[in-house]
Amino acid sequence: MTQSNNMLAEVKDLRVYFDAESGPVRAVDGIDLAIGQGETVAVVGESGCGKSVTSLALARLVPEPPGLYAGGEVLYEGRNVLGMNEDELRDLRGNKISYIFQDPSASLNPVFRVGYQIAEALRLHRRDVKVREEVINLLRMVGIADPEERARVYPHEMSGGMQQRAMIAMALACHPKLLVADEPTTALDVTIQAQILELLTSLQNQLGMAVLLITHNLGLVAGVAHRVYVMYAGRIVESGPTEEVLTRPRHPYTRGLLDAVPRLGGTSERLKGIEGVVPNPARLPAGCRFHPRCPLRQTVCEEKEPILEQVDAAHASRCHFWQELSET
Amino acid sequence: MSGPTQNGPLLKVEDLRVYFGKARAPVRAVDGVSFGIQPGESIGLVGESGCGKTTLGRAIMRLLPVHSGRIDFGGQDIAPLRDRELRAYRKNVQMIFQDPYGSLNARMSVGGAIEEVLRLHRLGDRTSRRKRAQELFQAVGLDPSYMDRYPHEFSGGQRQRIGIARALAVDPKLIIADEPVSALDVSVQVQILNLMKDLQREMNLAYLFVAHDLAVVRYVCDRILVMYLGKIVESGTPEEIFTQPTHPYTQALLSAVPDVDKGLKARHGGSDRIVLKGDVPSPTRKIPGCPFHPRCPMAQDRCRAEVPEWREIRPGQWSACHFAE
Repeated sequence: MTQSNNMLAEVKDLRVYFDAESGPVRAVDGIDLAIGQGETVAVVGESGCGKSVTSLALARLVPEPPGLYAGGEVLYEGRNVLGMNEDELRDLRGNKISYIFQDPSASLNPVFRVGYQIAEALRLHRRDVKVREEVINLLRMVGIADPEERARVYPHEMSGGMQQRAMIAMALACHPKLLVADEPTTALDVTIQAQILELLTSLQNQLGMAVLLITHNLGLVAGVAHRVYVMYAGRIVESGPTEEVLTRPRHPYTRGLLDAVPRLGGTSERLKGIEGVVPNPARLPAGCRFHPRCPLRQTVCEEKEPILEQVDAAHASRCHFWQELSET
Repeated sequence: MSGPTQNGPLLKVEDLRVYFGKARAPVRAVDGVSFGIQPGESIGLVGESGCGKTTLGRAIMRLLPVHSGRIDFGGQDIAPLRDRELRAYRKNVQMIFQDPYGSLNARMSVGGAIEEVLRLHRLGDRTSRRKRAQELFQAVGLDPSYMDRYPHEFSGGQRQRIGIARALAVDPKLIIADEPVSALDVSVQVQILNLMKDLQREMNLAYLFVAHDLAVVRYVCDRILVMYLGKIVESGTPEEIFTQPTHPYTQALLSAVPDVDKGLKARHGGSDRIVLKGDVPSPTRKIPGCPFHPRCPMAQDRCRAEVPEWREIRPGQWSACHFAE
């Protein structure tokens, strides 16, 4: 699944630790991940699982200190991102990899007009274009009506959905090959979420870029991702084609998550969910990190951490008993 | 315009209006809402931000002045209640918030926070309050030995349990829960929802469950009210609302919710998602006709001119759309 040949970005055995009084916190602890050209890949997990840190590491954006790249590598088109100098990193960020985040109002500068902020990216990375015209084009592309007017307003004069559109315009200003979207719709109302998702999908088709979607929402994953990685306590516990993972999960954590999500087509019958809480990353349990919460745990799970085993060519699970997890 | 009323509701809201700001151009946060809650019933109030759902909950708590209309609890109008009567009312109606961290005093032990509620309502003495707090801790699935700890020592899910314990302290009949699980991780969300369902059955509690997540509401509630721009646009049982929604706004909401089964299905057959255009209009603007018409995919001339009547489409299911059937 992770052949190096046509992968746009790859993460190999990446470890990102944070300094804490109690010792290093292993936020990302040896993960492998690959994103192909034009592909939509989702990383799903609960808060603290390391999904956002992983996404930031793709462009070496984790602040150092307190962060520390403790091992592994990040490759973009085969080039080692963690070994790049400042100039190379600046070229990578914005030009090749762009980010949109959950809260657009926190990512937009409140004292500058929206058009000016979009122009900033163009002035830095694309000297070839007429900045004013291109700003208007970008705003129009993300579905903002009256782009000439809207370029002149301040972020607070826009609604949340409009701000997220402006963020997307900014992220796409330099035609990146990879858009990292970290919970891009979580702060928005559902009807606006649907608008933003539709926009992202159509722009992706139009521009042929890859999208790395970071989310806690399995419904979102089911609707848009080609492949999915499920993260738990700094590790990937399951990965594979979305439909395969969501309909035939081979890890008890994935299965627990799927059971925990209330479904539109469901009933009011009791939901199962998962016992307990996510472990503190400074005090991870021995053996399999999921074992204290796992309904299937055996003695071996407390002693030996499972490796990420291939279920088939594309599907992998980090569970001693994946073979026994029957289809759900 | 009157909502479905039955015999002896616990709470009855009639043509309630809550306005903010200048009298000349008020923000009509709640604009003529009527409904009732039976003892032990759980009502889900869903809508997007700014629809007025939180304001409605706060008005029922009597935390906000009401412009017009009436709120009856146990057959009694709550508007004239003062001091002792108001305190007695709030003993019957308690609230749970989205962010339990923001609603707990950081400098007070969590056990102390529960005892404080009892003290304010002049219930019991020191020892019995302590004992009651221990019972409540157990009831919400927390270890009573944690009672002397402070809010920051707990996880989000544990804090929400504390918020629930505090609300239950005074034996309320109705709990207004405002987005009680939307700040929690999925695996923890279920734990809290299951707890709320268990407590409801054990204590015959009524809930007004305010949320934006339709799937969550479906799981907890007996009846659902869909709110848009200060008005209830549809009401019915979860079954009715989810399988035969009659209002185009309900239909759009349902179709917009990201859902696992729907998402997987769409991979094969394409999606029939209704994507609404534009944002929710400002509630200061007076919209002629149906308040939803500027975003409605089915709007006709009639919708722009005539306010739709609130009518019963089939027994128990009400809708405010000219074309609902």
